[in-house]
Amino acid sequence: MARFVVLRLLQAIPMMVVVVLLVFTMLQLTPGDPVQAIVGQFPVPPDFRAAIEQHYHLNDPLWMRLMQYFLNLLHGDLGYSFQSQQPVIELILQRAPRTLLLAGAAFVIGVPIGIGIGLLCATTRNRHVDRFWTTTALVGYAVPGFWLGQLLVILFAMRLGWFPTQGMAPLISRAHGAGWLLERVRYLALPAITYAVYEATRVARLMRASVADTLGQGFIVTARAKGLSRAKIIRRHVLRNSSLPVVTVMGYAFGVAMGGAVLIETVFSWPGIGLLLIEAIRVRDNQTVVGVVLFISLAVILMNLLVDMLYGLLDPRIRAAR
Amino acid sequence: MTAFLRRIARTRHGPIGLAILLVLLVVAICARWIAPYDPKAQVGTSLLPPSSAHLMGTDNIGRDLFSLVLVGTRASLAIGISSAFAALLIGGTVGVLAGYFRGVAEAALMRLTELFQILPVIVVVLFAIALFGANFWLLIGAVALAIWPLEARVIYGQFVQLREREFVAAAIVADLPTSHIILREILPNALPPVIVQVALDASLAILIESGLGFLGLSDANTVSWGQLLFTAQDFLDSAWWMSVFPGAAICLAVVGFNMLADGLNEVVNPRAVRGAVGLPA
Repeated sequence: MARFVVLRLLQAIPMMVVVVLLVFTMLQLTPGDPVQAIVGQFPVPPDFRAAIEQHYHLNDPLWMRLMQYFLNLLHGDLGYSFQSQQPVIELILQRAPRTLLLAGAAFVIGVPIGIGIGLLCATTRNRHVDRFWTTTALVGYAVPGFWLGQLLVILFAMRLGWFPTQGMAPLISRAHGAGWLLERVRYLALPAITYAVYEATRVARLMRASVADTLGQGFIVTARAKGLSRAKIIRRHVLRNSSLPVVTVMGYAFGVAMGGAVLIETVFSWPGIGLLLIEAIRVRDNQTVVGVVLFISLAVILMNLLVDMLYGLLDPRIRAAR
Repeated sequence: MTAFLRRIARTRHGPIGLAILLVLLVVAICARWIAPYDPKAQVGTSLLPPSSAHLMGTDNIGRDLFSLVLVGTRASLAIGISSAFAALLIGGTVGVLAGYFRGVAEAALMRLTELFQILPVIVVVLFAIALFGANFWLLIGAVALAIWPLEARVIYGQFVQLREREFVAAAIVADLPTSHIILREILPNALPPVIVQVALDASLAILIESGLGFLGLSDANTVSWGQLLFTAQDFLDSAWWMSVFPGAAICLAVVGFNMLADGLNEVVNPRAVRGAVGLPA
């Protein structure tokens, strides 16, 4: 297992290098003048420009800057955000736990519900139940997450006043202990629910298809022939075999989620990675943009690795093949 | 064509999807004439709730929301459909080359596809928009850039399978030109699942476009549904209608494309509808 993990990590390195190259080349193609961007809407004095260009090696050839960027990456240096006057890595590390919290809550709520609905749809004997939930999942899938967020804010935060409209915590909080936790949960509730609905509909569709597929397999015939009960077949044979594609897709989705749900974080002003990215894009803080894109790619690659390891646990055949 | 439409009409979701899209298409084409007011003009007090004069109320600068939503149909549908076809073109080329020629081309192109799949869609699009700004064509390009890997994988899968079939071997033996084999022999046979994917891509493109609009990153000169939601974000407390109606329009379009895709899928792939064995009672 350890050998497998190391091997996969080594495979991830060229992937990351290509991502850096891609991102770096795209940055070269951008219109705009970095010196002007630092100064803002003022004319730039020529000697100041020269000093800046000297200091940041702006006139070095592309390959030299690229090498330097790679060298810096090896030291964990993702560049410096002029906008917030902080190293990019600090910004990302500060935001990442919040995104993890939001995504974690959403997946914990959404994935089991989705699996339940999918399983119910595929195994129910009542066609209407299946139709109702498939259509619900279809419509749920079509609802843009950020719009659902707006609707929930209008209804539960503004009309009913049950939850705060945005943010992660009050500006000044005197609560502590259980009160503090409850306060945080109230802030987390709406964004997490919005996010969970989105994930649940995706899982439900996937799970239904996957279970339907499993039910067509030979071992189900065997299980029936053995006289196993319905519940036993579902628990022992269907659930496990059908969960593989769900694990793949959800693992990938969780990696992507580390990039922050840009849209949902925007609706609720949840100060995570996604909001960081969009803020950086708005003010053209390119170092931060590149840093965040790299961080997200890394997160996805690591999650995919984790999924591969989970596979082995879920499916002994794959374990044996290694 | 009529026979094909008739088969879609017999599926569960197909006819509903088709009907929704037809209505939206008519609205998109005739928006200027159906719209009761000039969508760009101030025609009432700002933030009026829905009434008989303004079916969906007015926005923060007194424009008629109903007219805006109608006109927004055009941009959203145009970007959705064009992006899907642009993605088909890029993904199709990659998938065909990788699937037919195999070898080095296959390895390189499919690695590239994987790479793009690793990068989250919205990040790719945001990144492209951030760098190059947003106008109508760039937007289509950016959205297509994000969704082409889906298309490439489907077409690649089809080509890899079909390439080994007898009729292709026969065509090769008959010394037909490669372009003929690809375009006239294999492609028509590879199309069914591709059509389904195009419909799904269109719905995805509409969602992405609306997301960009919501972030204030879409083309500022064209009214789109997502852009209306961007403005709505600041008025959630005072004007719920600014959020509810444009969002519902997005849902409608996305549901339409998804239902069409469902219908198409049932037509081209009738076996996949329900498990064959089933469970004991």
